[in-house]
This record gives sequence, structure tokens and C-alpha cells, in this order.
Amino acid sequence: MNERKNAANEPPRARKSLKATAVVSSYQKEWFTGLRARVEAGEDFAYLNADVPMEILRAMDIPFVVNQWWAAICSAKRMAPKYYGLLKEAGYRDDLCSYCATALAESLDPDDKLSGPWGGLPNPTIAITRLTCDCQSKIFELFAANHGAELYVMENTVPRSTPSKWWELAPDRWEDLYDKDRLDSAVEDLRELIAFLETKTGKKFDMKKFIEVMELVNEQEYWYKKTRDLIAETRPAPVTVVDTINAVMPAQWQRGTRWAADHAGSLYEEIKALADEGRFAVPNEKHRLMWLGRGIWHDLAFYQRFEEKYGAVFVWSMYLAMGADAYIRNNVQSDPLRALASRYIGMEDFLHMPPWNSEWFLSEARRNHIDGVVYMVPENCMQAVEGSYFIKKIMEDAGIPVLIFKADPVDAREWNRETMTGLVEDFIETRIIMGGNK
Amino acid sequence: MSIRKCAENNTAFRRLNDVYRNREKELLIFRENGGKVVGEIGCDVPDELVIAAGMLPVRIYADRESSLEEADKYLELSFDPVIKAQFEKLVNGSYNDLIDFLAVSNSTDVIIRTYLYLREIKRIEPDKLLPPVEFIDWLFTRKPMYKTQNEKTVKRFWETLEEWSGRKITQEDFIAAAEICNKDRAALRRISELRRAHKPRITGSEALVIIGSAFFMHRSEHAELVSQLADDAKSWPEAEGVRLFLTGSAQESAELYTLIEKSGAVVVGEDHDWGDRFSSRDCNLSYPPLQSIVDCYMLRDFSSKKALVSERVKTLDEAVDASGARGVIFYINAYEEAASWDYPSEKKSLESRGILTKAFVKMSYPVSANVGLEDKIREFTKALGGV
Ligand code: SF4
Ligand code: SF4
Repeated sequence: MNERKNAANEPPRARKSLKATAVVSSYQKEWFTGLRARVEAGEDFAYLNADVPMEILRAMDIPFVVNQWWAAICSAKRMAPKYYGLLKEAGYRDDLCSYCATALAESLDPDDKLSGPWGGLPNPTIAITRLTCDCQSKIFELFAANHGAELYVMENTVPRSTPSKWWELAPDRWEDLYDKDRLDSAVEDLRELIAFLETKTGKKFDMKKFIEVMELVNEQEYWYKKTRDLIAETRPAPVTVVDTINAVMPAQWQRGTRWAADHAGSLYEEIKALADEGRFAVPNEKHRLMWLGRGIWHDLAFYQRFEEKYGAVFVWSMYLAMGADAYIRNNVQSDPLRALASRYIGMEDFLHMPPWNSEWFLSEARRNHIDGVVYMVPENCMQAVEGSYFIKKIMEDAGIPVLIFKADPVDAREWNRETMTGLVEDFIETRIIMGGNK
Repeated sequence: MSIRKCAENNTAFRRLNDVYRNREKELLIFRENGGKVVGEIGCDVPDELVIAAGMLPVRIYADRESSLEEADKYLELSFDPVIKAQFEKLVNGSYNDLIDFLAVSNSTDVIIRTYLYLREIKRIEPDKLLPPVEFIDWLFTRKPMYKTQNEKTVKRFWETLEEWSGRKITQEDFIAAAEICNKDRAALRRISELRRAHKPRITGSEALVIIGSAFFMHRSEHAELVSQLADDAKSWPEAEGVRLFLTGSAQESAELYTLIEKSGAVVVGEDHDWGDRFSSRDCNLSYPPLQSIVDCYMLRDFSSKKALVSERVKTLDEAVDASGARGVIFYINAYEEAASWDYPSEKKSLESRGILTKAFVKMSYPVSANVGLEDKIREFTKALGGV
């Protein structure tokens, strides 16, 4: 472990916001302005759920925005209360599927072009989602109708065989990871998607271009892997989840581009430099925390509330770690579409299905020297119901305490920062400090 | 005499009602005689195949009285109450001496989760003694590939059943079983015709018993009884009351129907899985077996769980029209969220054609746990011009 002793003079405190974070957010905005111009010029524009294999659209140069990431932006801009009010006015329940329904709610806002985030969402012409839950396709259909977009849905299948340590098989032995028929049907689904997009947009799918995109994704994720490993091994950690989530999630949206691969490289270099110079995020780091669940987009500062008082630092979230473990597919050329299929169908399995998720979380907790896990379970999303019993059990059997609490990633209305802070403080005091470390 | 009295006096109905109320009775006899029983969760397990394998398909159902100790331990808050109660019985051992195997179809999210959790419990807590489980993973979109992929899925289930039963299922076995199921569905459709007739001869609460008993007995006997009943009921008196259609959560008991009928309405149709939807489509025996099963289960009316809003609007409009209902009750249990996304569009479409709607969402289980429900239903019935 790259343990650094506090030198005689206090090491400088790592900056909260990395250069790479600032870069990605200004790039996104600039990119978005470009997108608006393309849409206004009459180009097709797609709106995708996060688990849609966007690499296909990247290769076909069809611009797209990703649902969950757009919801995170809306939430960070504090639009959610207004949007859920609009849902209610339109006769929908305002307590359902907040994460996925944010853009639907936004589509009901007559003032979106004036007051929406970044000038509001341009009208998509295509909306694509997968059937990973009962509600998603309904929400997308309503959203598409409001924008006059064409809806396209993709299938989802459930693993029957569950080989252990998926993260070791994924990069090279992805064929062994799944039941064969699942991969077969995912490849067929990809072919149908391509045919749909070609007809709809008039653009041609080019296998060579697609392979380039896949290789660029590999390059980008390779840097995330190095970054994840570096943070895991460096104590105190050079950065916290606030830095990594903000740097990685928006850049994943751009995956498959030269820009995103380079950005991931610069992110690594920047964090490596911090580690080498002994500049730590929280110099008095005592307890390393793992965050399970989606980010709390409306209160990212929450993660930092336990640093000063307890030296408790959130060093792990799925956003960087999924990049590190779930995306890389070597030997793309051998069967490019199958390689992509083996990436996108796995996302749901890896994150939401025991034992794939529970075993991975434990392995990551160990790798990252985690002392405690804080686990947010949303009440109104069936997809995020992912076996919290099994996750808690495997962690606690391994001596890592887990705090489970209910909250919503984008809807701030029910969020009470003080109560939540109290819960986590109590957990740190009673389970981590008094309970002793692993 | 009332329809209820006629039913009580009817031999066929009495037998069906007995099975409906004593849901373990038939399966225990079947097992005592050396038969094997397949429990089912989800409405898309092809019964034909289970019957073709010489086994008895039965539905796993919720026990409203039971504690939820095990379910609360394993399941998150967002599991709907009915599936929670079903899960409890599977994990607390209630089913240990009742079923030999369990078949689970991916008919809705919670059921998929149920499968994953059961599989994981079996793996890490083997002392729980859960039966062998098979998962049936349908593709629900009707895109070009649904057929080939779904046929593979059915074939896998076919092979599993052969393994479970220890015998080959021949094409003849399948055809014989499918004929029984088709005959049963045809008889049940005659019952729905009697419900939907200008003068309904069967009320919803009787219909639920007639349909639901199919899940717990020999299908051939069920088909005979229902057919007999459909003949007998033609001469029953006519049901009085405002015609209502029910959509939303499946009703495993007639409790809600009884409340609605008490308010002066008659439930002339429903589209949940313990109601009319069960018999809506036959196995087309001019197709090869696998295709026939896929066609029967995947081209049925859209369920609220696995369909787009527009598909549900169309399906519901058609079903309501066919029933001649003047009002529609949406009854959705807490955490059964999907249908809530359909509701505003369905309401708009129905109301544009003069059909009133009333939504009850986030409902507690059992029905009796909802304070004031009876009054609200009565208000709705009254608004429709009922007593
Ligand atoms: S259930 Fe969850 S994943 Fe599905 S639409 Fe709702 S919030 Fe999204
Ligand atoms: S069927 Fe006729 S005879 Fe029999 S109980 Fe009903 S009304 Fe009486």
C-alpha cells in the first residue's frame, strides 16, 4: 500500500475540484451548445437511457443525451421540485421513478427553453430505452410523445448462470460470462437497432468506425482502472468520490471519443501527481467509506460532511469502479457486436443482481480498504432493488459494517440533510469507531 | 332468487368454490397418489407443458393472515404486499410439503427479483430447503426476434419439465394437454360472455371463484365443471347494478369484488391475471408446439406490467367496450407502480368516450386494511347512477 506518512509540515490539502472536473463540465456545456445547433439544423438527435448501447450511435455519429445524466444535471440545477409539480398537474403521481422521469417532467414545462438547464433539452427525434424495468418504456413513450420523437425499445434478459468474479472474466473471457442464448439475442437486438437507426436517420453503420469507438472506450476505461487502483492503494486518498463522480460520469457520456479517452488519461495523471506530491483529499483520513447506490445529485456536499469531524472519507462509488471493471472488452475485432453485447447486457447484472453485485462490492471494499459502507436504497425504484439483504450480509460477514438508508438520488423534497447526517454520524461512531475496524 | 343463491345451489359451482377456498386440498391428494406438483409465480408459465409432463400446476398465492417475518428480512420496502406474502410462504417453509418444483415467469419486476433472491438464498442458506426453481425469461416486445428467442425459452422449460418429471414429453402429450387447456379457456370465455351479456347472469365475485379454482385443480375437471356451469347459469336471474370494469392489481380473493357489489355495482369484466385475462387466448394447434405456446402467451392482451402506455390504452378501451361497462375502477396496490404511468392516458381515453374512472392507488393489503374504501366505492357507483 502506498501509505504516506504525514510529513513534519502538514501536507497541503487536495483541492475539492480537480482540473479534470472543471474541464469535463465546460466541455459538456460547449458540446451541448454544438448539439443544439445540430438539432436546429435538422439533424436527428437521440435521447437514451443509460443502459442503452450508445456506442452504436457514437459510431454512426448520431448525437445523444443520456437520461440519468441529464436528470443529474436537472437535479443539480435544483429543477426537480418544479418538475415533479408539473407531473402532478398533468395527472401523474409525483412520487414515482423520480430518477427516470425527470426528463418526462421537464418535457411538460412550457418554459423549458427559457429556464431549463443549459437552455433546456432540444427536441429529440428518437428516444431509446431498454426493458430493464416495468416503468421505463412507459416513461420513455410518454416522453417521446411530448417531444414528437420516435420510440425504440430494446429487450433485457436475466442471467441463469452466475459465474463468480465477473470482473475477472469481463475483459477477456466475456463469452464465458453469460448464457450463450442471452448473448445471441443481444446481438440480434443490436442488429435490429442498427437497422432502425439507419432507416430513421439515413446514416450508415460502419464496422470499422465502430471498432475504433470500441477501442477508444477500452482506452478510456483503462485509465479509469488505473485511477481506481491508485486510489485504492493510496492512503490517505488523493481524491474523494465528489471528485471522481463529477469527473467520470459526464465523461462516460462521451465515451468512444478521442476527447473522452484523453480526458480519462489526464484525470489519472492529475490524481497521480497529487498522490506523488503527497497532497491528500483529507489529510487526517482515518476511516474509508464506500458509497453504494446512485449519487445524491442534489446534495453532493453531503459526502464531505464527515471528513473534518471524523476523518471519514468517501473514497469509493460505483461510477469510477464500474468504469474500471465493467467496460473493457479486449479482442473487440474478433466479434465487435458480440463484444458490445457482452458489455451492455452485463450492466444490469453487475449492478443490480446478487450475487454479481454483492461479490463485487465486497471485493472492491477489500481492495479499497473500506471501513464502512453507506448504502442508499431508493424506495420508489424497482430496478434499484438489488438484494440489499445479501449485500449487507456478505459485507458484515466479512467484518465491514453497513448502514442502509432510504433516500432519492434526484428528488430533494424528502431529503433532510441534518437527519441523514445524524444517521451517518451515528453509524461512524457506533459501528466503525466503537465497533472497531475489520 | 339471487345469483348468489343459485350459485350456492349449483353442484358445479359448489365444487369449484370448495377448491377455491381450500386451495391445498387437490394438490395434497395429487401428491398422495404419487403425483408431482409445480408451483408457479407469474402469470406466464405455460400450464400446458406442466400438464403434458403429467404434473399439476398450481399458483403460489398470498396468505393474508401470515406474518411477514422472513419477507421483511430479505425484501426491500418496494416489494408489493401480495408478492411479499407469497415470498414469505416460500421461504418460511409453508410450501415445503405442498409443491415439488417452482416455475417463475418474468411477468413483472418484483417477480424477477423474487427469482433472484430465491436463487441466492438457495446458494448461501441451503438449510432453507427451497424447491428446484426454473425461470422463464420471456421477451415481451413483439419485435422480429421475439419468436425465435421465446421458442428457445419454451424449449428449455420443456426440457426442465422432462427432467423434473422423469419422462419425455411427446408432441402427443403436448397436444392432449393443450386441448384440455383450450377447452377450459373456451368454457371460461362462455362465463365471461354471461357476465358481459346485456343482462349479466354471473357477477364478478362468482366469476373470480370460477376462474381462480383453475389454479388449484385438474384442468380437465375444471373445464367440465365450468362448461356445465355455463349451461346452468343461463337460467339464473339477471344481476342488477351499475356495470363496472376493474383493472390494476390481481385479486387473489373476492374481497374487493364483494365490496364493489355491495355498493350496487356489478363487475362485468377485469383484465388482471386472476380474472378474464387468464382465458383470453388459446394455443393454436395448427402451429408446431413451441410456436403455439409462444403465440398463446405472448400475443395475449397486454398486461399492465409489460406494455407501453399506448398499448395499454388500446387494450383497456377494447376490453371495457366489450364489457359494456359504464365506469372503470383502477385498483393498484402499494409498490405496484407500473400501472400508475398508464392511468392518466387511460383515464383520458375512457372519459373522452363517456366512461367514468376512479383510481385507488397505493392500496394496502388485504383490501380490508383500507379504511373508508367502501364509502369511496359507493360514491363512485352513485355518481354513475347506481343506488
Ligand atoms: S423503476 Fe427505477 S429504473 Fe425503472 S423507471 Fe422507475 S426509477 Fe427508473
Ligand atoms: S338456478 Fe334457478 S332453481 Fe336453481 S337456485 Fe337459481 S333460480 Fe333457483
